[in-house]
Amino acid sequence: MTKQTFLHDKHITLGAKMVDFAGWDMPVQYSSIIEEHKTVRENVGLFDVSHMGEMIVVGEDALPFLNKLVPQDIKKLVDLKAIYCQLTNKNGGIIDDLIIYKLEESKYLIIANASRIDEDLNWMVRNKTGFNVEIINESHNYSLLAVQGPKACELIKSLGVEDLPTFFTIKRATLFNINLWISRTGYTGEDGVEILVKNEFSEYLWDKLLESGKSFGIKPIGLGARDTLRLEAALHLYGNDLDENTTPVEAGLAWSVPKNKNEDYNGKKEIMKQIEHGTQKKLIGIKMLDKNIARHGYDVYYNGEKIGIITSGGISPVRGDNIAMAYIKNLDNLAVGSTIQVMIREKLHNAEIVKRPFVKKNNKG
Amino acid sequence: MNESMLCTKTHEYLLEQDGKYEVGITDYAIEQLGDIVFVELPEVGTEFSKNEAFATIESVKAASEIYMPISGKVVEINEQIVNSPELLNDETYEDKWFVKIESKADQIEFADLLDYSDYKEEIE
Repeated sequence: MTKQTFLHDKHITLGAKMVDFAGWDMPVQYSSIIEEHKTVRENVGLFDVSHMGEMIVVGEDALPFLNKLVPQDIKKLVDLKAIYCQLTNKNGGIIDDLIIYKLEESKYLIIANASRIDEDLNWMVRNKTGFNVEIINESHNYSLLAVQGPKACELIKSLGVEDLPTFFTIKRATLFNINLWISRTGYTGEDGVEILVKNEFSEYLWDKLLESGKSFGIKPIGLGARDTLRLEAALHLYGNDLDENTTPVEAGLAWSVPKNKNEDYNGKKEIMKQIEHGTQKKLIGIKMLDKNIARHGYDVYYNGEKIGIITSGGISPVRGDNIAMAYIKNLDNLAVGSTIQVMIREKLHNAEIVKRPFVKKNNKG
Repeated sequence: MNESMLCTKTHEYLLEQDGKYEVGITDYAIEQLGDIVFVELPEVGTEFSKNEAFATIESVKAASEIYMPISGKVVEINEQIVNSPELLNDETYEDKWFVKIESKADQIEFADLLDYSDYKEEIE
């Protein structure tokens, strides 16, 4: 039985094409993925991402508990500040990638991928021994709406929220008399917010945002454009670009692994070894040099030898070319500017290694 | 859509014109695919058997193969849709055929093709 968010009826009424995503019946597009993509890059878009998981970790050992679970140093978080991190296993492999918010002393909010909620909870419970901490899954109580684009903050300000939280910060606020949480985060590479609201208010909030956002050019945006937007921003998608056999270092996420964290955490030994001595595989960004599209699962070649695999690929509506992320063998002679090949329908097509993100991000708030 | 076209259950169409056949995909298929961003067509002169993949089309989300409704030899390809795949999504644009073929197919090859009204029922 596929699950539905509290906004499901809204999507149907808006004529969305629905698809299954991680067991949820979600809108993939309302009009056209390319048009929706451009709406977010140029104006503002509204996303229903209520399928995502929300968990609260609370108790006197909440901080040491979380610090055991992720490479990031949770000590650095001050109240209402958020941090991007990964839940790692004993080998440093990524169980999920998360945003952790410090709500108050000894109380944290975790936003997790829909497809990983059960694994995350299981893993946290298995690691709980000896910690005075409570893990509460709030996923079924909250809806999450993302408002993203260059006009997103202008829109939210026009609704009476004068002091928007700064980048990667959350605050309590009131919109249309509804108490909710506004976080300056997103998954598009644009400025914007994510709004965490109790399920019973989500439909009202959705309608009000679409109505008030009209003069800002707001449109509802499906998961199709969410995927092309995050790819241009080179943001990882769990299940494609991240999995339990890939460490944050291999995934190009070493920036989210502090070198000087004293506390031990799951996978620390392997992760620190990789930071010091390098990795067998590495994540790269590529652009296709012809019109062909590299997609998830296609093989990557260099000098006639298979060296890796595409994990995410598609079109870049903003650049007008085709881009992808791939894991390849960590060969010294391959760097930005090198030409490699992608096997597409039994033919090799040239691609060039390029810098990530593929499109400049505009979200430093 | 043209009333005299024949369709496959995999959403290709076949339309006889001046002793040749135009092959393409139905409006319904285009609508289902969404934004079309890539079209690859075979070279003129290539021969295909019935149900053989002859073209690839990609939407933003995925790649799909397009199959020959009947056997035949490609005599003309629509370069326009290769150069500008988005034309397929343009409702005002009419030339959405993929290839034109010459065919010696016998009646047996036509047996499983649907006439347009049956196809419409099929997709409803």
